[in-house]
Amino acid sequence: MRFTGYELRVLTKRHTTRNKKPATRKNQSFSNSIPQQIKNMENRIFDSELEKLATKVIEMCSQVNQQVNDALTALMEYDLKLAKKVIGNDKEIDTLDVKIDRLCQKIFALQQPVARDLRYILSALKINNDLERVGDHAVNISKRIAPLKDYRQLVSDLGVDNLAKETSLLFADVLRLVESHDLKYCQEIYRRSSDLKEGCEVIAENVLNEMMLKSEVVVVASNILIIVNLIERIASYSNNIAESITFVEEGEIVKHRKKD
Amino acid sequence: MTFEKIHTENMVLHYGSKMALNNISIKIPENKVTAFIGPSGCGKSTFLRSLNRMNDLIDGVKIEGKILIDGVNIYDNNIDVVTLRKKVGMVFQKSNPFAKSIYENVAYGPRINGVKDKNQLDEIVESALKNAAIWEEVKDRLGDSAMGLSGGQQQRLCIARTLAVNPEIVLMDEPASALDPLSTSKIEELIVQLKEKYTIVIVTHNMQQAARISDLTAFFYLGELIEFDKTKKIFTNPEKKQTEDYITGRFG
Repeated sequence: MRFTGYELRVLTKRHTTRNKKPATRKNQSFSNSIPQQIKNMENRIFDSELEKLATKVIEMCSQVNQQVNDALTALMEYDLKLAKKVIGNDKEIDTLDVKIDRLCQKIFALQQPVARDLRYILSALKINNDLERVGDHAVNISKRIAPLKDYRQLVSDLGVDNLAKETSLLFADVLRLVESHDLKYCQEIYRRSSDLKEGCEVIAENVLNEMMLKSEVVVVASNILIIVNLIERIASYSNNIAESITFVEEGEIVKHRKKD
Repeated sequence: MTFEKIHTENMVLHYGSKMALNNISIKIPENKVTAFIGPSGCGKSTFLRSLNRMNDLIDGVKIEGKILIDGVNIYDNNIDVVTLRKKVGMVFQKSNPFAKSIYENVAYGPRINGVKDKNQLDEIVESALKNAAIWEEVKDRLGDSAMGLSGGQQQRLCIARTLAVNPEIVLMDEPASALDPLSTSKIEELIVQLKEKYTIVIVTHNMQQAARISDLTAFFYLGELIEFDKTKKIFTNPEKKQTEDYITGRFG
């Protein structure tokens, strides 16, 4: 698998910054990343609530992105400390998940959103749900890294490392999409998640072959199989998020449709 | 803890022999928007009007219990109703500007309260019109008749007229029910802004309006206060089944 210059820069950046304080955006200003469509809305009473919601969804996506990156880095580098950190950070995501649910409930009950506002809040609920699941999967991956200790070579040979790198790139696009609502990222996300799913199938088949040939790797290979399955789910949720944002912007329900 | 601006205890109101309000006890906080909702005839407007003794004008009205504003019972014998109404202003459903100029509509209240200095009056008029979010629309035609304004502008002018006598509480009885959605939206935004300086109590038939703009909501039914809580609580998880049935449209 070959990477473009940009992809390599993204990967390099991630590797060089992973030991620093987690890049959660909790304390940063989100004013630059509020979707332009919300910025442009007339100043009505509940715009501040919508802006609050947009900020929280971006914060959620940013934190989940960090969790995914850390989990996959921990997987590729067998970094148990980092894996432990991912497991510990899940509480923050759960808290944010509940906050977003409550905020959506409040907006539905008090503001009676219609048209784009309605689509935005409906989608915020779904995206929040998808992100929370992705966060759980990052934790589940992290929990399965320890048993791979003596099988680093096998993990790499099976192509799991490359799969992990691709997943990081995919989720970076998801974050860009959630921040900007720019649909140009959707096609990229559909393509990458489709490639990833195919990659997962190939690797799963190779893992099964390995298990059949070498009984001593059955336990570790089962773990790898589960990790690959979790990565496949992350790709699937990324796809859902792109569909939800397309629904916000275009009012079209594009799920279950074949993506070109 | 927010200061309780209005506090009623076991307040009962009769129209002749008919009981219109039964045992209302409520604490309305300062600098918040409190909305009264409920079906027609439930007593919400009657209760609102009793907060600045507008019911005094109706024959046969008898009130028991206490209505305290800043801790003082406004139905005590020594209360001056004119002073009370200066402190507790009111905006009605239908805008009712005087057939005078925009300026004179706002200056009327301060003038009868003894303000004679032209500069001071100018300042009061400008400030009230600004607070009522209509200054920019009328500043170049203050001498024009108020009757030439649109319905929404007239209503904001009436709000400016109420604010000109520097009240602490503003009572609003369906202030936006006769207006189109855009004017309604302006009035709603204005109400939310006004709570910084005033305590607002609003009666509305429009539950969505109560949900949008109020901090607290009181649900009245058949002359009783059924439930009073934060608006968010009332509209997401009310305690009483009657409240739930009313706000979800299942009433009857």
